[in-house]
Amino acid sequence: MLLMKIEREQLLRPLQSVSGIVEKRHTLPILSNVLIDIEGDALTLLATDIEIQIRTRSTGSISAAQPASLTVAARKLQDILRALPEGQEVSLDADERKLTVRAGKSRFTLQTLPAQDYPRMQLADGETTKISLSQKTLKRLLSLVQYSMAQQDIRYYLNGLLLSVGDEEMRLVATDGHRLAFVSEPLPGVTGKLDVILPRKTVLELARQLADIDDPVDIELGANQARLRFGSVELITKLIDGKFPDYERVIPKDHPKELLLQRATFLPALQRAAILTNEKFKGVRVVLSAGTLKLISSNAEQEEAVEELEVDYSGEGLDIGFNVSYLLDVLNNVSGDTLSLRLNDGNSSALITLPGTDAFKYVVMPMRV
Amino acid sequence: MRRWIAHLDMDAFFASVELLRYPELRGQPVVVGGGSRHPPLVQPDGTRRFARLRDYAGRGVATTATYEARAFGVHSGIGLMKAAALAPDAVLLPTDFDEYKRMSRLFKQAVLEHVAQIDDRGIDEIYFELTDLPGAQDAVGDDPHGGVRAIAARIQQAVQAATGLSCSIGLSPNKLLSKICSDLEKPRGLTVITEADIAARIWPLPAKRINGIGPKANAKLDSLGLRTIGDLAAADPQGLIERFGRSYGSWLTEAAHGRDDRPLSYSRDPKSISRETTFERDLHAKHDREELGALFTRLCERLADDLKRKGVVAKSVGVKLRQDDFRIVTRELTMDRYTADAAVIRRHAGLCLKRMPLERRFRLLGVRAGHLLAADQAAEMPAGQEEGQLALPF
Repeated sequence: MLLMKIEREQLLRPLQSVSGIVEKRHTLPILSNVLIDIEGDALTLLATDIEIQIRTRSTGSISAAQPASLTVAARKLQDILRALPEGQEVSLDADERKLTVRAGKSRFTLQTLPAQDYPRMQLADGETTKISLSQKTLKRLLSLVQYSMAQQDIRYYLNGLLLSVGDEEMRLVATDGHRLAFVSEPLPGVTGKLDVILPRKTVLELARQLADIDDPVDIELGANQARLRFGSVELITKLIDGKFPDYERVIPKDHPKELLLQRATFLPALQRAAILTNEKFKGVRVVLSAGTLKLISSNAEQEEAVEELEVDYSGEGLDIGFNVSYLLDVLNNVSGDTLSLRLNDGNSSALITLPGTDAFKYVVMPMRV
Repeated sequence: MRRWIAHLDMDAFFASVELLRYPELRGQPVVVGGGSRHPPLVQPDGTRRFARLRDYAGRGVATTATYEARAFGVHSGIGLMKAAALAPDAVLLPTDFDEYKRMSRLFKQAVLEHVAQIDDRGIDEIYFELTDLPGAQDAVGDDPHGGVRAIAARIQQAVQAATGLSCSIGLSPNKLLSKICSDLEKPRGLTVITEADIAARIWPLPAKRINGIGPKANAKLDSLGLRTIGDLAAADPQGLIERFGRSYGSWLTEAAHGRDDRPLSYSRDPKSISRETTFERDLHAKHDREELGALFTRLCERLADDLKRKGVVAKSVGVKLRQDDFRIVTRELTMDRYTADAAVIRRHAGLCLKRMPLERRFRLLGVRAGHLLAADQAAEMPAGQEEGQLALPF
């Protein structure tokens, strides 16, 4: 039975936006598949790993004689489409257990599994908090904090991103216990208070898919799930059930030493110093004195790097160590030419902000080098 | 000066260790494997009664076989039921890893009396360099390599004296060729090869004799009509790169010409250590909870022992399951501090297991310790602040 004829790009693009979450090795074989649903001129693709589900719906690219749904290996279909020439027309035929993809003189026969066996997530009934902002704003906010999320940490609530709504603003916070990134954004009209933790995989997937455009992302936050809609994509995700640590406690308020750093000189100096840090510990010494900031690193072979920067600083001297990756992370992700660095002593955190705004804060604990 | 690298491989190691204990089995086909069941029974008259392969039921594999058993087609890695079909009367002995490890230490010590350091490749094989040893570059009579041959022969005798076991040695300018030629005249082989012998002695061998050409690559080579190492050496290097990728393709050409400049590696700095076990029957997380729990704990204890013996501590713990459909599932956790403690490992491994799908039965359970660090290095760090990194004061 002929399902549809479609131009390669019209199928590949939506497939690529759902297939990112398909796990390579999942224990439920059907979860390697993508659900394809056609009805009239509407094409719906859906993929899930049971924690997240992404669905795309497009209309007008096909005209199907009769509705059909089936599931087929997402990666394989994607690889086939990707390898076909651009602009190629592709036809999909299905019989009971097989999907046949034809394109020009190529033919591929893929196994299918029944659509009714495919697990689907639905936003549970109940009250939800709704917020909306532009895709490019959310994309920018995520990029400012997501690199600080923990990975496979036993404190499971750190393997995600805190999204906190209330008082006409939204806050995003990520921490791995050693450093913390915070960003806030005004959200007029939003009252009430709600904290949820988005799983790491959801955050990375969102950061990948959001575009630099003014079109909105509509977010609905439920008790255990969230739904995000943007463009033709609908993403439903479970939330991490746990209490995020009290981040405000660790954001320092009155560190006495303050200096401004130029990203254009500080970042390359750090990158060079990083070359000779110890592979495992990545420690770099930051030695501050009147007028100068020195970066010093050395490795197990006793090789050494010294970088000297002129800074406008006249306070007390300080010798403090940091994991160089934590410093590089923030410098690689914030925009802005100038950063403010505030310090106290060798055992206290450093606070990095952007001058003239309270919206972004990065707190990083030192390391003994 | 000619570079001389030796590869020493113990002859049918596990089986030979067993034959030392049970000399009456000498000359018979003997297979070792299948866990610790079926030990020999001492009968009233003092003789021993051994289990035979035909009596075996289970899913164990042969860890090794004597040369007599190999004549029937039994080799290490073969399923014991399958081996029983080939050689039903062969004697079956249980695996005794502790004894093999003891013998392994003995033969390595014996070699270390002759050379300063060894490149330890596992329980029954090592590499070492003879280049700078006194006499290694000398000719003896008509034999231009008589000097190095004599040193290798002395090492073979020393291994024999220390363990009662024989070994084979391959001698060549590099690891790749030595590994191939230690296998050419087994058992008790002593094979010397130089660049001049490659065409005559190495090229006629099947391609898979090169360490690094596995079954998959070999099948692919075979389909291209490249069966021997000589075929491979004669093949167009560019064609190999196109078919096997830049790195592996160009390595194939180098290897076929016997070129290998890898240095010996004297310190093995493991990235992770793991322990795993295949069950006698498939187990289910709920229905076999107790049995599984005990197995799990024992694995963690043995892993902790391994860590302590190697003097390292681990920062991450991983669990591996092989389900009854042979799919492998793994989960890993990073701990908040370094440890070699069995209870801590067990607790974190338990947390990994909780995050795994446990609907199906499984046939194998493994625990892995990763992100290793020397224990003394970790001890210098303030408690709870490993790697010197301070934590945010939440």
